Amino acid sequence: MGKTADLLPGTLDMLILKAVSLKPLHGYGVLLRIQQISGDALEIPQGSLYPALYRLEHQDLIMAEWRQTENNRRAKYYTLTAAGRRRLREETAGWNRLSAAIASALNTTPEEV
Amino acid sequence: MWKRLRSWFRVLSGRPQFEDQMSEELRFHMEQFADDLVSRGIAPEEAARVARIEFGSVQNVKSDCRQARGLNFIDELLRELRYAARLLRKTPGFTTTALLTLAICLGANLTIFAVMDSILLRPLPFPEAGRLITMFNSYPKAGVDRDGSSITNYYERRGRIPAFESLSLYSYGAAIIGEAGSTERAQVTYVSPEFFATLGVGPRIGRVFTEAETTFQTDNVTILTDTYWKQHFNANPQVIGRQIRVDGDLKTVIGVLPSNFRFLSSEARIYLPFASSPEARAPSERHSGGNGKQLIARLRPGATVEQAQSQIDAQNATLELDDPKAKMNADAGFCTPVVPLHADHVAGIRPTLLLMQAGALALLLIGAINLVNLLLIRASGRSKEMAVRQALGANRRHVVSEVLVEITLLTLAGGMLGLALGAGGIQLLTRFGVDRLPLGATIQFDMQLAGVALAAAVLMGIMLSAPIAWFNLRDHLTNRLQAESRGGTSGRAAQRLRHGFIVGQIALALSLLTGAGLLGLSLEKAAAVSPGFRPDHVLTGRISLPGKSYPDAPAHLRFIERLIKEIDQLPGVSAAGVVNNVPLSGNSGKSAAVVKGHVLGPGESQRGHYSYGVGGDYFRALGFSLRAGRFLTEEDSHRTKRVCVVDEDFARYYWSNSSAIGQQLFEGGEAGKDAEAFTIVGVVGAVKQAGLTDEAAQGAIYYPYVFRTDNALFLAARSSLSPESLESMVRTAVRRIDPELPISDLRSMETRISDSLMARRSPALLAGIFSAIALLLTAIGTYGVLSYAVTQRRREIGIRMALGARPEQIRSQFVSLALRLLAAGTILGTLGAWFAGQAMRTVLFHVPAVHPAILAGAVGIIGVVSIAACLVPSHRAARISPTEVLASE
Repeated sequence: MGKTADLLPGTLDMLILKAVSLKPLHGYGVLLRIQQISGDALEIPQGSLYPALYRLEHQDLIMAEWRQTENNRRAKYYTLTAAGRRRLREETAGWNRLSAAIASALNTTPEEV
Repeated sequence: MWKRLRSWFRVLSGRPQFEDQMSEELRFHMEQFADDLVSRGIAPEEAARVARIEFGSVQNVKSDCRQARGLNFIDELLRELRYAARLLRKTPGFTTTALLTLAICLGANLTIFAVMDSILLRPLPFPEAGRLITMFNSYPKAGVDRDGSSITNYYERRGRIPAFESLSLYSYGAAIIGEAGSTERAQVTYVSPEFFATLGVGPRIGRVFTEAETTFQTDNVTILTDTYWKQHFNANPQVIGRQIRVDGDLKTVIGVLPSNFRFLSSEARIYLPFASSPEARAPSERHSGGNGKQLIARLRPGATVEQAQSQIDAQNATLELDDPKAKMNADAGFCTPVVPLHADHVAGIRPTLLLMQAGALALLLIGAINLVNLLLIRASGRSKEMAVRQALGANRRHVVSEVLVEITLLTLAGGMLGLALGAGGIQLLTRFGVDRLPLGATIQFDMQLAGVALAAAVLMGIMLSAPIAWFNLRDHLTNRLQAESRGGTSGRAAQRLRHGFIVGQIALALSLLTGAGLLGLSLEKAAAVSPGFRPDHVLTGRISLPGKSYPDAPAHLRFIERLIKEIDQLPGVSAAGVVNNVPLSGNSGKSAAVVKGHVLGPGESQRGHYSYGVGGDYFRALGFSLRAGRFLTEEDSHRTKRVCVVDEDFARYYWSNSSAIGQQLFEGGEAGKDAEAFTIVGVVGAVKQAGLTDEAAQGAIYYPYVFRTDNALFLAARSSLSPESLESMVRTAVRRIDPELPISDLRSMETRISDSLMARRSPALLAGIFSAIALLLTAIGTYGVLSYAVTQRRREIGIRMALGARPEQIRSQFVSLALRLLAAGTILGTLGAWFAGQAMRTVLFHVPAVHPAILAGAVGIIGVVSIAACLVPSHRAARISPTEVLASE
């Protein structure tokens, strides 16, 4: 997809993939997990989470399944597919390259030019 | 791409479920969030409210989710479909016209396409049917282009032509099948042992014929078709070993063919082994072909028709080296063309079918032009609305998709109607005799055709949408908003396009009309040809005598004498006779005869002549004219003196300056002993043997019946009663002589003549129907466009009239516009008519491809129709009241 430059939507997808890669989660769980793993630094607008989930499911990167929660309620749980795992790896590598490049660019001093 | 389609499909197939689950999922989210808030000490109602606020608009989220799932496309399509349907309902006049035009044009095309597809396009129903070929002996210089193949050919070629994987011989015949009391006369086919292997089809039960079953002593076996098996054995699988009676002989059933088996156009009910005597296989019989016996072969994989041809040619050349008749054969131009089986079988009907399809396509084009014009006019009416919508931000994609959806909806509905009409059209064509064409019985309306209809409708929708979409998107909005406002006139480009379409339409209609005229005139000329006999009040029918009860010539003679005596006694019968084949029965064959004393000139070869045995008062029964001498009579079959009658073509060929009476000839390819010579005692008028349009003066010889007895014969009776009323009496008379003997193909000679013209009448009739529809469509088109022009220019006309223009001037302005379009259409149409005429050359009879009178007539008809179509609009233009127009603005 090469959306590394397209920061916001790209990052949300990446974060969702990361979140469900750790453990199957329902939508609300994804939200909590992203807040948790980002050390509460990232606030996800709740309304934009679900379209992103549906888009990822449509692309076959994650798949959904109805299960019981701990409190015995029915919820839709998302897990990562093989394609999703591959995508996550690519996106992570891409992000790392990009952030390293930007960091290096921003740390440039006049002497180095 | 595939994954997404699957995802769409999953969601679409459970759309309500998708919505339910989505709602549940979102509700779950909010409730969980609210629960968390409560656990942090917030009051439940407050928590629920905060959760709703934090989540934002549920409707927006849902819509975004649907879009993420690609559902918006579908939703949008459905919305556009509903919108299009509503628009079409709002203009019932337009919608009905468009649907009828589409239904008629697509229906006509589908009907013709169904015929063409079944006959020309679909391969024969055998595996790798492209490898099947046929061949026949030809003696072009003797006037015999096609003479089937001989039994000797089969035995000499079998296994010796490397390009052939398998070669077989077959022959159509008829037999009386069944036990006494329940016999039926049915078609049978005699086939050599490898026939089914050549075709690549095995029996569903049992086995095929073997080499051992090809002698007259051992051929008492039969293979049943599926139809016969189901009708007479109730599809009993234990049928193998049972016996059926064929022409009085018992035949053991050894196999049953698969249900879809059909060899070319054969109506055979059972298959029998092709048995022959050793004499019939001898080299001396190499050229005793005749169209009754045909060879088919399957080429080896990779072998070509050309290879097979050169191998056959090489073998022929070797064999002819020591053929006693080699010189005669070479003089006759003997050769054996090898041709693909399917193409050969349908070669005769191919040009006509292609022409009919071309005609139907021209009709479709005329209909499409009409639709585009109607749609353009309709789009002009909505031009302002479109402009406003685009100004308000409707994007181009949306404008295009809206047009596409609406028009495709229209063409699809029209296509479905056309499909129904096509199914009816096939019924109509059956009445025109289409099922009697080669492979005609295989014509059917199936899923494949429905698929073609669907594809054609969609394609038409896209093609019709293009100009409308262009119209809606064309030039700048400001221009259009102005163009349609006060004082403006219609867009020039759109107007030119509409007029161009009308010109094209007139040209196409003119070509069609000219083509129909040429076909009609050909039919008239063919029907006006005299058959050479008096066909009125003559009833003819076919009887085939089973070999068991009628083993020899004396038995045949006894039968026909009794038959003629019985028929003579029927009321009103003035003459009755028998013959091997009546004219136009489609079975006339030519055979060689040598005239005593005739020396072949340089380059001249032996000629094939139509040869018949006649009994009773055949000549008077059919109404032959006597040119010299006398007719043959019943006694000639009993006299020792050999006599014969020839026709005037024969007499003129050999004795152009003297009398043929008293001259002698020999039956067969060479002169024999004097005692075998036949003395000519009479000369009769020439008759059309193969068809009314058959023009080769090949000559005919009529021998007393005793010299050419045959199992199959035709009875002919002339009566003062109508042939129809004689029918049942003839049937009863035949049954009185032999209750087991059916008489078939009972038709009057007038019916035979009329049936023989079917191949000309039906295309001419169809072309006539197409032309009538084309004229109607052209009239609608011209009327529609001119009416629109008048409506659009009301303002201009009103102003001009206010400034003093007279109504006649206004009227003549529009009439002259129609005349200009007509003139341009006529010029283009004349060109089209010329092309059509050239393409039709092969199917025309005594009519030149360019026929000025027909062209002038067609121009006249189109002229009258288009001027009539423009009268109403131009009259309306002339009656426009300036005060009203100016006041209304």
